Amino acid sequence: MSAAVKTRTISVAGHAVEIAEAGSGPALLYLHGFADVHGASSAFLPFHEALAKSFRVIAPAHPCCAGSDEDDDIETMDDLAFRYAETMDALGLDKVAIAGACVGGWIAAELAVRHPERVTHLVLIGASGLEVPDQPIGDLFWEAQPRNGADYSGMRRLLFGRDDAPEAVTLFPDSRGDMGRELMRYKTMRFASRIGFNPPYFYDRHLRRRLHRYGGLSLVLWGEHDRMVPRAHGEAYAKELAGAEFRVIAEAGHSPQVERPAETAALISTFLRPRAAARNAAAKAKPAAATAKAKSKAKAKPGAKARTSARRGRVSVSAKTGRRKRPRR
Amino acid sequence: MRPVELFCWHFMAYPYLPDDFDEHYESGWVTVPNRLWDRERTDGLYQEYIDQLVYAEELGFDGYVLNEHHQNIYGMMPSPNIIAAALTQRTKRGKIVVLGSLLPLYLNPLRVAEEYAMVDSMSGGRLIAGFAMGGGPEAFNYNIPQPQARARYWEAIDLVQRAWTEDGPFRHEGAHYPLRYVNVWPRPRQLPHPPIWIPGALSLETMEGVAKRGHCYFLSSRTHGAATRMAARRFAGIIEQHGGKYHPFRMGILLSVYVAETDEQARAEAHEGVWYFLKYCLKGHLRREGRPLTQGAGVPSTSVRSYEHYLKNATLGGKQLGDTETWEELDAGGSIIAGSPKTVREKLWSLIEQAGVGNLLIQFHFGNMRADLARKSMRLFATEVAPALRRDSAALFARDYPELADTPVAGAA
Repeated sequence: MSAAVKTRTISVAGHAVEIAEAGSGPALLYLHGFADVHGASSAFLPFHEALAKSFRVIAPAHPCCAGSDEDDDIETMDDLAFRYAETMDALGLDKVAIAGACVGGWIAAELAVRHPERVTHLVLIGASGLEVPDQPIGDLFWEAQPRNGADYSGMRRLLFGRDDAPEAVTLFPDSRGDMGRELMRYKTMRFASRIGFNPPYFYDRHLRRRLHRYGGLSLVLWGEHDRMVPRAHGEAYAKELAGAEFRVIAEAGHSPQVERPAETAALISTFLRPRAAARNAAAKAKPAAATAKAKSKAKAKPGAKARTSARRGRVSVSAKTGRRKRPRR
Repeated sequence: MRPVELFCWHFMAYPYLPDDFDEHYESGWVTVPNRLWDRERTDGLYQEYIDQLVYAEELGFDGYVLNEHHQNIYGMMPSPNIIAAALTQRTKRGKIVVLGSLLPLYLNPLRVAEEYAMVDSMSGGRLIAGFAMGGGPEAFNYNIPQPQARARYWEAIDLVQRAWTEDGPFRHEGAHYPLRYVNVWPRPRQLPHPPIWIPGALSLETMEGVAKRGHCYFLSSRTHGAATRMAARRFAGIIEQHGGKYHPFRMGILLSVYVAETDEQARAEAHEGVWYFLKYCLKGHLRREGRPLTQGAGVPSTSVRSYEHYLKNATLGGKQLGDTETWEELDAGGSIIAGSPKTVREKLWSLIEQAGVGNLLIQFHFGNMRADLARKSMRLFATEVAPALRRDSAALFARDYPELADTPVAGAA
């Protein structure tokens, strides 16, 4: 773990929420998935550390995950989305870029349709949340009951492109001997069970027709071999989120943030500050003073864009062109 | 003087699985393909199983036990109340224990209150009403989110009890089953209501819930020994914390028994049925091989605190009952007791003596066991084991629990 990662606990509506935070720069609220910080790792992974080089990455643990309190009042995604709005209040994040992986992506999308004025950028990585006919989301709960008592290859196949990939085996080894790991998995699944077991299974039937409400910038990232949330879900998100950029990450499954951390983080960085990134690249060869200047400008950028976006309501921006256009209906 | 009560538990397993079942299927639960059901060979199967329970009544057992399972080959009673209804017409004396209806699986628990009231009325007040939460397989079968199931379960139990005891119509306020009109017809025969039994697997939360309400705790473990004694002590302690006093009829345990003329004969005769039960029926439930669904992160029914406690005491991924290879291993776990009347008598007596438990719920039929063998075992038990257990337990309980003399017999109308 990078020494710069700070973990603290805040109180949200009377419940403890664990926050892992690192880096400086524009704020990026990161909502975790399963093969992720808080989900299967108690520390930031290389992906989060890469993002923390350019952003202030703020990663709350979902209720019941890591050091966050379980909350019996959370029974549906609606309850959870409301809790996350409260969490943003508590963190003083009035308007912020949000990235989420898997179930975290689903939460991010629900926040974006409920509070479009508070979300400057939306990044979805293998996000669940949509119902796509004949493209069912994989049964993670089934695979969380390992074959022969300890064989998690089925879970790794759902969460990664290759079940024998080193990062997959590190996070989900074929063993239940490690009590800390077993307990972390139990807590993560208990959280997931509340909102994702039924009804219905990791999706909200209404979400798709609500996506148009979000008019901000969006980036949809999908692993080439996602067996947990089929790529058709990513295509559906990209279709309904006006001007969304859709990128498929080669040689990755459901968890590109773990499988292709540098590439995934770079795509997100470029998306969050396209012009700043370009300027940084150009400034690389130049003296340090010029780089520092570029960084300080970039810091202010997302906030300014968000204000414009909120004022204009449904006006959205194509990430590819940077030009404003009316959302598709 | 109140002797131990001896019940005959029938699971009604599916007995016609192919010989290569273990090789080709990962579980006897949830995904076991129903094309394996043999329409012709199963003609008369339920009849035979019901007849075995009627035979238990003829042999003088105190009652019969049924339970609810779904989409599996371990126990073919998705609706145990249907079998209970049949028993009300075929028997006259024994208690009918449904252990239990899986409350969270019902849209509305009043359905259970109504069906139980019917069985109690039809049987002349012989029902013992069990309420269970459902295990891992049921979570998948009926899509029951486990973290919320416990709260739904206790609300449902209290609602059913109130519906039986309080004059209707009344309004029920609750997080899960708010109802404007609760007015159950028929009412149960027994007053104040049929005895309520609650299964548990050692969790403190369940014991506390049971103790607080004055119900009977049924330990659902299939292995016995020191853990059984510990469970009884722990439950007794919790009852006392709630201002009550433990006695043997506040608790029940599940035992599995096969009796034959000699120890050798018992093992030889029971072998096929017992190993069918261990390898097939327990696959997906209490067996490491295959896809165990009973407990774990995929079916997170217990609180994080309870699970942490469980982890400290368990060996995850270790050998379970269904992984047993030899009779010696079975003996060591006290799981399935097979032997001569003398052997069985001694083992059960030692358990009664150590644990002080008064309700023994005994499985006699295993997997694909032949009907004549199951009946012979029941008969030998009734004639050569039960009398001594009754006599000795009555004396023991009279000595250790003198206040029992004034306690009405649970379930008596």
